[in-house]
Amino acid sequence: MKYEIPIGPIHPALKEPILLQLTVEGEEIKDVDVIASQNHRGIEWIGMNRNNPVQSIYIAERICGICNISHPSAMMLAVEEAANIEVPERAQYIRVIQCELERIHSHLLWAGVAAHEIGFDSLLHYTWKVREKVMDILELINGNRVTKAIMMYGGVRRDIKKEHIPKIKKMLEYYKEGFDKLAKFFLEDKTVEMRTRNVGILTKEDALKLSAIGPTARASGVKKDVRQDQPYFAYPDFDVKAITPDMFTGEVVGDTYDRIVVRLLEVKQSVEIIERALDEMPSGDILSEPKLAKLLMDLKKAEGEGVGRHEAPRGEVIHYVKLKKDFEPFFSWKVRAPTYSNIMSWIPMLKGCQIADVPIVAASIDPCISCTNRVIRIKGDGKKEIIDGDELHRLSVKKTKRLLEGGS
Amino acid sequence: MEELLEKLKKKKIKFEIREREEGVKKKEKRRTILVHTPRKILRDTVKMLIETSEDFPHFSVCSFTDCGDHVELNYHFSVGYGKPLKETNIILRVTLKKDDLKVPTLTDLIPATILSEREIKEMTGIEIENIPDGRHMFLTKDFPDGVYPWRRDETAPKETRKLYEVWK
Repeated sequence: MKYEIPIGPIHPALKEPILLQLTVEGEEIKDVDVIASQNHRGIEWIGMNRNNPVQSIYIAERICGICNISHPSAMMLAVEEAANIEVPERAQYIRVIQCELERIHSHLLWAGVAAHEIGFDSLLHYTWKVREKVMDILELINGNRVTKAIMMYGGVRRDIKKEHIPKIKKMLEYYKEGFDKLAKFFLEDKTVEMRTRNVGILTKEDALKLSAIGPTARASGVKKDVRQDQPYFAYPDFDVKAITPDMFTGEVVGDTYDRIVVRLLEVKQSVEIIERALDEMPSGDILSEPKLAKLLMDLKKAEGEGVGRHEAPRGEVIHYVKLKKDFEPFFSWKVRAPTYSNIMSWIPMLKGCQIADVPIVAASIDPCISCTNRVIRIKGDGKKEIIDGDELHRLSVKKTKRLLEGGS
Repeated sequence: MEELLEKLKKKKIKFEIREREEGVKKKEKRRTILVHTPRKILRDTVKMLIETSEDFPHFSVCSFTDCGDHVELNYHFSVGYGKPLKETNIILRVTLKKDDLKVPTLTDLIPATILSEREIKEMTGIEIENIPDGRHMFLTKDFPDGVYPWRRDETAPKETRKLYEVWK
């Protein structure tokens, strides 16, 4: 007997509104349909009709709170290409540092969420305690933990000062020393391995055909990373290499465990990039056109188009911008956030899994959509029964216990 | 990459190569190839892209510009990824007259295009021929017919209010 189970439109494991319509037979998931049309904010419309290009930077920051550097970064690349704006060398380095700080905090945030989804809350609290160090640095150099308003066409708005550098280096040391401990907790723990090994497998072929990106694709063995393939900002100086799980475990399985491996190794990689960037950062200006009114006039006169691709923590984010002479807002603006490309991968990943695996598998692509706290289960007789977030979480915790006792 | 350019030249398909320099100490070029693709050879061009790319062409998204009497539909691809500095952006641009807004589906060739095709259909009113799943993607089920948010003509949304006005 097949049942339909909707998970969403609001759910703690999925963040932001999205609906997963599951067809299940017993505990096993047979088919999945993803329904995204739950909430549309019309951000592109605002950028194309209401805002001037500078205002649009700050709305781009609000597309996603966690990716608040990634979206403006892709937008800077697109507009700077369209209007042919040069960027000073120091600003390119500061941009790289900001992007990598974002990757560290985002991956640690995700690791905590993943631990929570399998009922390992002490690990969630430990990971988020570790994450606080990078958040403190973000606050120190930007004045804010989340939306930082640092990007500007032709550079950045705030410099990294001399007195900041020892504090940033201290943070990097903290992560270097703490990495082995974190890796041990996540990668050698029996509970984590049981709940994530061979769960939610995405094959390399599916990853390629469904155009999966970021850690989701890399965990399936696709060596794809914009920082490596088509570097931008100051990334050509760093020779970034795409990280795949075989570097650590010697094999590529493409499951949830591999996605944890990739993200943890990327935290280490980001620490190394920031360290080098701080040492090699050139001096000089941070903005090519400090007068805002003149910049806006230049942008109004500009005509052209550009594509910006940036490797966000979740994968490639791409912005397409077209500017038209004497037309102030963007004539055309298309934003493609990473989850847009990754939600298709949920379908092959979830097929054959159990309902209790949905939170961890769904979370394994690090989706950027939003939070549910209830599920409606429709029984065979048509009666509805509501399972709330706590209940679903309880089911997941129960499965972990069952596995520990040797069950399935 | 060169193989694709040769094939494009052979078939007399127009294209432009754009480059932008990136990097501080090491300078690298970010390369984009804009291919002006007539609608009737769109599917053939995509097949050519699949044949000539080493892995599989990566499809990012579709973008759209309303230029008055015609519209531009851009398919953003990238090929040559996986190797340092070898990736190239490819934009397949299809220009359509306003009174003939139709394109064939690419979902059978590149499965990842389905979400973008659904989005293009609802946001711009372009008909996607043989689309396997024509439901709304981002707009809600009750979004009015004949209103297309990305257009700049009479079909664009007319009554737009700021958030604080909604509560009045």
